[in-house]
Amino acid sequence: MISVERVSVTYPGQSHPAVHDVDLEIPEGELCLVVGPTGSGKSTLLRTISGLVPHFSGGTLAGRVVVAGRDTRTHRPRDLADAVGVVLQDPARGFVTETVTDELVYAMEQLGLPRAVMRTRTEEVLDLLGLADLRDAPLRDLSGGEQQRVAIGAVLTAHPQVLVLDEPTSALDPPAADDVLAALTRLVHDQGMTVVLAEHRLERVVQYADLVVAVAADGTVSHGAAGDVLGPGSAAPPLVELAAVAGWRPVPLSVRDARRRVAPLRDRLTAARTREVLPGPGRAVLTARGIQVRHRRAHAVRGVDLTLAAASVTAVMGRNGAGKSSLLWALSGAGPRSAGSVTLGPEPGQDPAALDAAAARRLVALVPQDPTDLLYLGSVGAECRAGDTQAAVAAGTCAQLLERFAGPVPAQAHPRDLSEGQRLALVLAVQLAADPLVLLLDEPTRGLDYAAKRALVAVLAQHTARGGAVLLSSHDVEFVAQCADRVVVMSDGVTVTDGPARDVLVASPTFAPQVAKVLHPVPLLTVAEVREALAAAR
Amino acid sequence: MSPRGRAPDRAQWPEPAIQLRSWSTAALALSCAVGLAAFCWPLLVAPGAGLAHATDAPLILGAVLACVLVVVHLALVDGGMDVKAVALLGLLSAVGAALRPLSAGTAGVELVFTVLVLGGRVLGAGFGFALGATTLGVSALLTGGVGPWLPFQMLGAAWVGLGAGLLPRAPRGRLEVAMLAGYGAVAAFAYGTAMNLSFWPFTLGADTALSFVPGAPLGDNLRRLLAFTAATSLGWDLGRAVTTAVGVALVGAPVIALLRRAASRARFVTPEPRHAEHRATRRASGATFE
Amino acid sequence: MHPAAWWVWAAGVVVLAGRIHAPQALAALAVAACVLATAGRRQGAPSFAGYVALALGIVAVRVVFHVLVGIKTPTGRVLVDLPSWHPAWAPGVQLLGPVTTTGLGTAAAQGLALAVMVLAVGAAATASSPARLLRSLPAALHHLATAAVIAVGVAPSLVAAVAAARRARRLRGLTTRGPRAIAHAAVPVLADALDRALDLAASMEVRGYARRSGPGDRRVGPALAGAVLAAAVGTYGLLAGAPAYAVPALSLGAALAVAGASLAARGQARTRYREDPWGYREWCAAGAGAMTGVAGVAGLPLLATAIALLGLLALLPARLPAEVSV
Repeated sequence: MISVERVSVTYPGQSHPAVHDVDLEIPEGELCLVVGPTGSGKSTLLRTISGLVPHFSGGTLAGRVVVAGRDTRTHRPRDLADAVGVVLQDPARGFVTETVTDELVYAMEQLGLPRAVMRTRTEEVLDLLGLADLRDAPLRDLSGGEQQRVAIGAVLTAHPQVLVLDEPTSALDPPAADDVLAALTRLVHDQGMTVVLAEHRLERVVQYADLVVAVAADGTVSHGAAGDVLGPGSAAPPLVELAAVAGWRPVPLSVRDARRRVAPLRDRLTAARTREVLPGPGRAVLTARGIQVRHRRAHAVRGVDLTLAAASVTAVMGRNGAGKSSLLWALSGAGPRSAGSVTLGPEPGQDPAALDAAAARRLVALVPQDPTDLLYLGSVGAECRAGDTQAAVAAGTCAQLLERFAGPVPAQAHPRDLSEGQRLALVLAVQLAADPLVLLLDEPTRGLDYAAKRALVAVLAQHTARGGAVLLSSHDVEFVAQCADRVVVMSDGVTVTDGPARDVLVASPTFAPQVAKVLHPVPLLTVAEVREALAAAR
Repeated sequence: MSPRGRAPDRAQWPEPAIQLRSWSTAALALSCAVGLAAFCWPLLVAPGAGLAHATDAPLILGAVLACVLVVVHLALVDGGMDVKAVALLGLLSAVGAALRPLSAGTAGVELVFTVLVLGGRVLGAGFGFALGATTLGVSALLTGGVGPWLPFQMLGAAWVGLGAGLLPRAPRGRLEVAMLAGYGAVAAFAYGTAMNLSFWPFTLGADTALSFVPGAPLGDNLRRLLAFTAATSLGWDLGRAVTTAVGVALVGAPVIALLRRAASRARFVTPEPRHAEHRATRRASGATFE
Repeated sequence: MHPAAWWVWAAGVVVLAGRIHAPQALAALAVAACVLATAGRRQGAPSFAGYVALALGIVAVRVVFHVLVGIKTPTGRVLVDLPSWHPAWAPGVQLLGPVTTTGLGTAAAQGLALAVMVLAVGAAATASSPARLLRSLPAALHHLATAAVIAVGVAPSLVAAVAAARRARRLRGLTTRGPRAIAHAAVPVLADALDRALDLAASMEVRGYARRSGPGDRRVGPALAGAVLAAAVGTYGLLAGAPAYAVPALSLGAALAVAGASLAARGQARTRYREDPWGYREWCAAGAGAMTGVAGVAGLPLLATAIALLGLLALLPARLPAEVSV
């Protein structure tokens, strides 16, 4: 269905090709997963299949790409619209119209299909993706998962044979991601659609993939069955790593497969497990009582009590719209708070909202969901210098922190040209320059690859090692399992669960990490913990 | 993420977002003649003309101008328009429209012209013209400014964008920002004066010392107009001119950098209207095949 | 309802509001617009409250500016006798001065007329989607209509983005007031808008935007340029008081424009999903609007106001079943 023959892509002004000498054959009706670190050329490979590279973004394409019998040399993306459906990374940014139905028919209108056909196909797609109740809903009122399904539906109505998706679940909470993935597998199984998707969070999708294409940082590509391509290393889901520790061959790709084989490992772990000594609660650095946040229409937070201890990481989890962001903003003092109190430090306790902005940021730092909101200058160097001045610290502090967090980043680069990981590191450097007591992070792992997440875990560890407290909101259960001491689950603006990370994560069906699901009832969360426990048993 | 990756250092002047061709240039120039006549009608109108009734002229001329604007736009996009230019036109108009209610009512604070001047400068005269007209049109749709004055406003703003695109190309850096700030001040002031000129008889009615007298000598009417302007809108026009200049000076450098980055990433393609569309597309977009 | 119907009604009211000065009639029109916005509100429409606030603001600004810099005529009862001041730097401008009932009333009425225009257009925008109206433009204007649809759809989220960027400034310990703060908040918003434009363009491209079945027509350019030339000749004819050649020239221009537009629209394969039927309710609303405008121009303010109010009857069939079923 898709044949990529000796393809290399070089963007103008760059000396190295973004993808290099790719040979790939994707048969009809397969789900192909494209993996690789950020900046490795995953998106380039996907855009090659849809013809966006090079027709839309420029550059040189060597080799040949044939999709559904059409050569991308002679067919522009618009000429492939009825053969290849493309869903770009952030669905909301690709919406042209205002309501669900208008968006679904948009592609068909451009193709000039008769009205009767449009009506039939719209109904089909509404049913297929479970959107029938939302047909007249305004797009901007939809949740992330619904928007993603509308974006998929909007290309399906053109009846493409190939569907290409760039990180379709990266911004979604676990249940919404499951909905989207269920819809995709239904397309592959029932309709024989060929699906190509790029994804960072492999643990969610690898079990559905027939073929895995790994793009390396240098642009070279290898492909094969999931178990063969994904080795333990930089970009492997926890299951693959666990398989390496346990010596399972072939590698199980779903929790179900792994549980069939887990018994011996579980016995060894049960025997090895020593009683864990829970550290006593640390000194409180932030105490919040009865926090309420009302926005114009919604009552986002309805009375939350929270205490952050020094040298600890607390994670807030919950569905999209559970009030997590509003809570973080209220705690930072920069966002609205309609009731309740926030006090910093043990005694005599200051309220960040009562302080002026410059004083508040020295005590509480918040990194918002879109960290780029904080950046307004034209280069990394200028941002760092401004950060030093604003934090009233020695010149060069921000630049040093940035280097520590992300390695060398060119000072003259435009902040918007950085990778997601580097951009987050820059914002963290700016916000941590003043050495605040409390660090608040709203969805920090969006768009980060495994390496960037590990770097973030290290930054958080450095912060807590100096006695700081961290509160972060996240959908990423594997990340939370790695770094959090305590987990708070929110729903509809109230706290439903609050306890040590291990207890909360192991007990929850939606928030349990893969390792915990496999090893249940042994309460271990990460592969690193398994390794430690095994080493202790020896 | 290479497509969003580091922007390559391209030539300082990317392709204009809307290419001016011979026929569209002709239409654009002729529309300026129509616009000039429409804006200056109180100074030009013959005493006996049917238009001399103060309230009808702006309505009729407004209708003519609206049609002319539509036709000029058709000429500008004849043969197709790069989809990236369409999207950019939409987004920049939205930025302008979003800035307009922010500034409406506060003594002449008009940030729209800042966007128009900078957009026209970087993205070219044709795009500047289209941007001026769509920005004012969209903001009128959104905030309720539809009226007989709308075609005049759209054309006036379109000229501001067009002029910014026609400024000398050589100045760079601080000089460029200074030039644009100066141009912005002059253009914003001229816009206010021109609006005043065409709506002066309409606004003031016929029975004051400052009113328009159809057919009176040019000098007399001009003097009355100046007095009227000084008495009413001078402060607003000056305010608008100052805000535009200050706006350009404050955000000019970073915004020009952003727009240039966007333009070079976008690689506008203006498909040749008639023949060999594929070949032209490839050449202009920098897309090549080996 | 057809998206154009209420716009025609609103256009009529705008024309009328520009021509009447009676506060009672203006108030009636303002109420009519508010009724339309409440009873005829479409799903997902932006809040009408903004238009109301803007309308009130306009009246307030008019009154305040009248008091501050208005040309004071010595008619009517003096309400407050403020001292007047003629600044040397702005010749002809009188600051403050005696505030009279007549002057204040006139300023308020002028403000009210503008407020009615805002409310009428706002009501039309609340009752029918401007985006859908733009989509019913002729095919040749597709690119511009698309740009405008995008702008109308995106502008509200940009306003929200400006707010977010200003809040984010506080996180860096910066002030959120002053021109510098606004300028710096505008930069990330603009940067995001530009990136977003490329994402949007890619999304449109892969869904087949601007696919054409054939090449363009060579005759489009000359036809359009000819249309503008004819319009120029016609305009000068109008100004010179020579309808004998103004009218034919303008008609020729219109014909050339239509010809050019239909030639330009050839070869586009696009179809439309929604057909907006034009029924008796549309006739009622749009007819009332047209008649309001005509009566307003003809100098029959009372009749025109009455017709404008009658146009609201077009709301009835939509409301009745809903209320019966409740």
